[in-house]
Amino acid sequence: MKDYVRTTVDQKFGAPHQIRVWDKLPLKPHAAVATVGEGSKDATLSVQVSESNRDIVEGQEVAWIGGTTMPAGSAPVTVSSFDKEANLLQLVSAPATAAKPGDKIVIGPGEVLTHGRMLYAEHCQHCHGTAGDGKGPTAQYLNPRPRDYRKGIFKFTSTKENIRAHRGDLGRIIEEGIPGTYMPSFKLLKPAESAAIVEYVLFLAMRGETEYQLHRLLESDYSEAAIATRVEGGETRDKILAEFVTRVKEGEIDEEATARTDKMIGDWTTAQDPESAIVPREKRYASDEASIARGRELYLSNNLNCVACHGEAGLGDGIQTYSITVDGETQKPNLEPGLYDTWGNKLKPRNLRLGMFRGGRRPIDIYARIEAGIKGTPMPAFGAKLTEQQKWDIVNYVLYLPHEPRTPGTGIAPAPATPAPKTTASK
Amino acid sequence: MKRFWCAFFMFWPILAFYLCWIAPEMNWWFPSNGPTGMKAASPIGARIDDLFYMILYITTATFVGTQIALGYVLFKGAAMTDEGNEEKVWYSHGSHSLEVIWTIVPACILLFIALYQMDVVKEVRVKTAFPEATKQGTVILAEVTARQFEWRIRYPGIGPDGKQLPYSPQPQPTDIYTVNELVCPTNIPVTIILQSGDVQHAFFLPELRVKQDAVPGLDIPVWFQASKSGEYTLLCAELCGWGHYKMKAKLVARPEAEHLAYLQELARRQNYDGVPEAPAEVAKGE
Amino acid sequence: MSTVNPAIGTEAGHGHAEEHGHGDGHGHGHHGSFISTYVFSTDHKMIGKQFLITTLLCLMVGGALALGVRWQLAFRWEAMPFFGQLFSAQGGQISPEFYTMLVTMHASVMIFLVIIPILAGAFGNFLIPLMIGADDMAFPILNMLSYWFMWPAIFCFGASFFCAGNGAASGWTSYPALSALQEAAPGSGMAQTWWLFGLTFVGFSSMMGSINYMTTIINMRAPGMTLFRMPLTIWAMFITAILQSFALPVLTAAGFMMVADRMLGTTFFIPGGIVVNDGDPTVGGGQTLLWQHLFWFYSHPAVYIMLLPAMGMVSDMLACMSRKPIFGYKPMVYSMAAIAGLGFIVWGHHMFTSGMNPALGMTFMVSTVMIALPSAVKVFNWIGTMWGGRLVFNTVMLNSVAFVSMFIVGGLSGIFMAAVPVDIYIHDTYFIVAHFHYVLFGATLFGCFGAIQFWFPKMYGRMMSERLGKLHFFLTFIGFNGTFFPMHLLGVSGMPRRYADPYLHPYLEHLLPMNQFMTICAILMGCAQFILLFNFFYSRRCGEECGRNPWNANGLEWTAPSPPGHGNFESVPNVYRGPYEYSDPNHSEDFWLQTDPAKSKTPKTAH
Repeated sequence: MKDYVRTTVDQKFGAPHQIRVWDKLPLKPHAAVATVGEGSKDATLSVQVSESNRDIVEGQEVAWIGGTTMPAGSAPVTVSSFDKEANLLQLVSAPATAAKPGDKIVIGPGEVLTHGRMLYAEHCQHCHGTAGDGKGPTAQYLNPRPRDYRKGIFKFTSTKENIRAHRGDLGRIIEEGIPGTYMPSFKLLKPAESAAIVEYVLFLAMRGETEYQLHRLLESDYSEAAIATRVEGGETRDKILAEFVTRVKEGEIDEEATARTDKMIGDWTTAQDPESAIVPREKRYASDEASIARGRELYLSNNLNCVACHGEAGLGDGIQTYSITVDGETQKPNLEPGLYDTWGNKLKPRNLRLGMFRGGRRPIDIYARIEAGIKGTPMPAFGAKLTEQQKWDIVNYVLYLPHEPRTPGTGIAPAPATPAPKTTASK
Repeated sequence: MKRFWCAFFMFWPILAFYLCWIAPEMNWWFPSNGPTGMKAASPIGARIDDLFYMILYITTATFVGTQIALGYVLFKGAAMTDEGNEEKVWYSHGSHSLEVIWTIVPACILLFIALYQMDVVKEVRVKTAFPEATKQGTVILAEVTARQFEWRIRYPGIGPDGKQLPYSPQPQPTDIYTVNELVCPTNIPVTIILQSGDVQHAFFLPELRVKQDAVPGLDIPVWFQASKSGEYTLLCAELCGWGHYKMKAKLVARPEAEHLAYLQELARRQNYDGVPEAPAEVAKGE
Repeated sequence: MSTVNPAIGTEAGHGHAEEHGHGDGHGHGHHGSFISTYVFSTDHKMIGKQFLITTLLCLMVGGALALGVRWQLAFRWEAMPFFGQLFSAQGGQISPEFYTMLVTMHASVMIFLVIIPILAGAFGNFLIPLMIGADDMAFPILNMLSYWFMWPAIFCFGASFFCAGNGAASGWTSYPALSALQEAAPGSGMAQTWWLFGLTFVGFSSMMGSINYMTTIINMRAPGMTLFRMPLTIWAMFITAILQSFALPVLTAAGFMMVADRMLGTTFFIPGGIVVNDGDPTVGGGQTLLWQHLFWFYSHPAVYIMLLPAMGMVSDMLACMSRKPIFGYKPMVYSMAAIAGLGFIVWGHHMFTSGMNPALGMTFMVSTVMIALPSAVKVFNWIGTMWGGRLVFNTVMLNSVAFVSMFIVGGLSGIFMAAVPVDIYIHDTYFIVAHFHYVLFGATLFGCFGAIQFWFPKMYGRMMSERLGKLHFFLTFIGFNGTFFPMHLLGVSGMPRRYADPYLHPYLEHLLPMNQFMTICAILMGCAQFILLFNFFYSRRCGEECGRNPWNANGLEWTAPSPPGHGNFESVPNVYRGPYEYSDPNHSEDFWLQTDPAKSKTPKTAH
């Protein structure tokens, strides 16, 4: 079974030094994608660029997809220059088979991914691991552990509940880092470099998830443990393996696997849709005393129960941190008390008094946490339960907490007049 | 064979001298990437460079002199053991006058070096000697906290009058936060308060010739002045863990008005509430 | 071990009760077993040889660690050939935390397990009694213990490699909070604790040695050996021992304080409110600067401990190979004393950017600038020693001249750092690395190579190969300069130290070719050391046998048999003159043993 999984994954994704670009994936791995138009002749192609991820420059390879294929063994076609205004792509030499209008071509195939892979190896690999499993050599010394991409879950997103991360979220993390952790800010990378890394990380996430899904699909029947149980139940090992081979040959396994990967692809595609982004329906309410007081009431309310994890004073010491909690996926209680994320690491709820916000400190960032929760952690989504004003009140309270002059637990009197913090963005 | 060794010992100082001579044009010299090329990008940096060159000339002269002397003794000593050379060894236990000379003269030179640079030291390090404009209480540009493995910077906000608010050791709701990007006005001496969030780091601006360790538990004022607008390198210069080399940041100097405008833009972005200003803007991570 | 060889020019000993000259050092008629002769020996010569071989092996380990550093700087993130198999869990690639460990352990091994023991332990032990005419050290058993305490030190440093993080990783300077807080660096767990224990054992070893040397030199000199008739080697060892004994306790105390911080919950060096690795904030109350002061209070004199003995030995070798007296013997002594004395009040120059009080910084600056003076005086005196001499161009001389030449560079580059404003720029850059490698390797280690060649005949009764010695010198010298001279330029370019990947920063990208060149030279230099090892071990068995005084030198050690037996001398030597009476015009030969009672026509005493 392991071999099957490995071969499938390698087929679709390749190895780090030889990445395969599985074109089904919702990635932007090439420098540009274009269609050949009318008026192409020999080495000069008139093209309509449908997707441009980076500049088209001399030396990039051109590959045909679908339609006319280049005869095997023909020399690679490279770009000589590209005239943006006239949409004319000049090739170094004419392709062996003449280009026809309607041909889909890819310029700089896989270039973004390859570049991303080089950058990943240089900057990210030693923590996040070669396969994006968060188990690079440095990872064991870090707390919190580096992200394991293979579940396809990222914590700090700008998308709605149950929807995956948007590219821009990953880009933001790379640029700003995650305060309070060892994920540094890579602000000084050029935008093209950041973008390439994002593509590669998504690639690794999809690869990891494919592998994971295949395992999930097969493990109940064909893992070593399962085989052992079945052998005990009376079947022979050879029969089981033969059964496996048959199912593979008949395409049954592939069909199942494809269904799962299709779902993954669908999820990722949806996440990039502008509709998936969280857009508050109302502008932020002014962060005045009244709003902060309301926010505080909401925070302390039994209905929302923020205090269960974040504690009454917002110090991240609520009762859940020392209770036995239930694992979200398996629905079984965790062995040690405390809160855990979906990767199995113990979590501390945010200490709201530090002014350190891992997913960003802008009002929209806090809003997004409340609206959609933090994916992969026990922080739930409250979007459906609250009105816009309520959400903004909580945001105002959370942003106010680090400046709260009273020590936790003192006084019930309303907050003294603190200088009205600057709120709505000036136009 | 012995002359080979004499030449061998003379070859390398000549090579060393040559390497240093061509170093500036080979770009093996002061950092030259920045807006001011190989020249220091701050007035005090220029004085540091002057001091460096002065010491360089003195040490080069000493180096050349002693290596020539060494070369002479080697070749002469080799010649003494040539066939037929009857010259006697110079049997001497020393020379009192020579000892005095070559103690007093270097002592004077060294004392000169020591005293000459005291002014510069004072200006860099002693708060009472900081330029007027940087005295604490007037304009502190930012609080720079070095941590493993990045630079977290907190600027006082911009007041309603368009000027920067006074710095407060306590974080204020109006503060502006950035990471790895320090901005400052060009040609105005500014002070930052340097802190460390965890272990020792060092705030190093190579083009400006500024360096100060960030010591946990201490708040250290560091002043500097960027002579020209542009981007300068900021990095860490004290081993702080495995990511010591990764603390890549930049200092961006802009003319004062632009600098304040940029800070205002940062403040605006920091207060972004997700509702687009114009229909075209999409509320994804900006 | 020895046969009594009536050497030229010495008085044949009257039957002293001790020396029977049996071939295995039985001397007093004791029967020594293998263990007591070769393992737990109290004979200073055996202890000296034990130190020498141990430190030479540690030299190779330290060198290998440095090659890892150089590899990463030249071919970053690529799998290291050959050595990469040792850390194959990472694919042979040097990861960032591994790099910080390499940098730390390279320096720690070289300083504590190689340079300090080789100078004081190996040469100090072997030479001091022989050169002053004593039959052994004042405290032979303490001497043996000082060697055997090296092994727990080696064990502790070695254990550090096998702990989490692969070894201490906070620099050999081990600044808190990086080293004090267990979570701050991968190697700051048990690895750092083992490192501290190793340091403590090295400290015990050095301390025992120092006490021994001081006592021996003060009390056990042969009749006629006044203080100013001692060879400069002995002066150097003496002054070094004083330095060591006064400075070391401070480091040991600091080490204990750090161990207490790590294991007993004290916070001498840990300020409050620090958060590492998302842990709880520290309670604190301490100061990181305190460690720096305590550490450098020892470690600055330590660098003179690592230099002075070599200076002394080079003086002896130069005088011998130039066939001339030392030029300015007393100034040489006084300047060594000045270096040592001033060495106690300059430690703050390692901390100019640390945030200490600037007024304090100024005073350190003045004293640091002044410490260049005695070193300069010594360089002039060495040149004066060679001036007008009949130079013998053998391996010993080549290494000694290299010492002088490299020390000039190392000393001059130090002046840049003495100036605080310039130090602000070059602190923690490769300029500093260049400086200390020039003084520690270029000067001290070449001096040691020369000394090995020079005193090997006395240790083993055989000569080392001249040809191999010269080859080793040639390759090492080229490799050394190729590796370390460009570091001056790297430093001026602002390349910081201890960076696993400096080319991440655009202003340093263009320095990659230079770094690759340096790595090639470093590999060449590393390989060349095998020639030395081969020469050493081969010559022990098969070298040309020699008499008592193959170099025609003056010192007392050259009147003893090669190798000396138990008790060293056939009879108590009497000293009639200083050690540098070479080419006296009133004497028939161009050297004049200290023990020769014949008077010259014009009385000359060393002055």
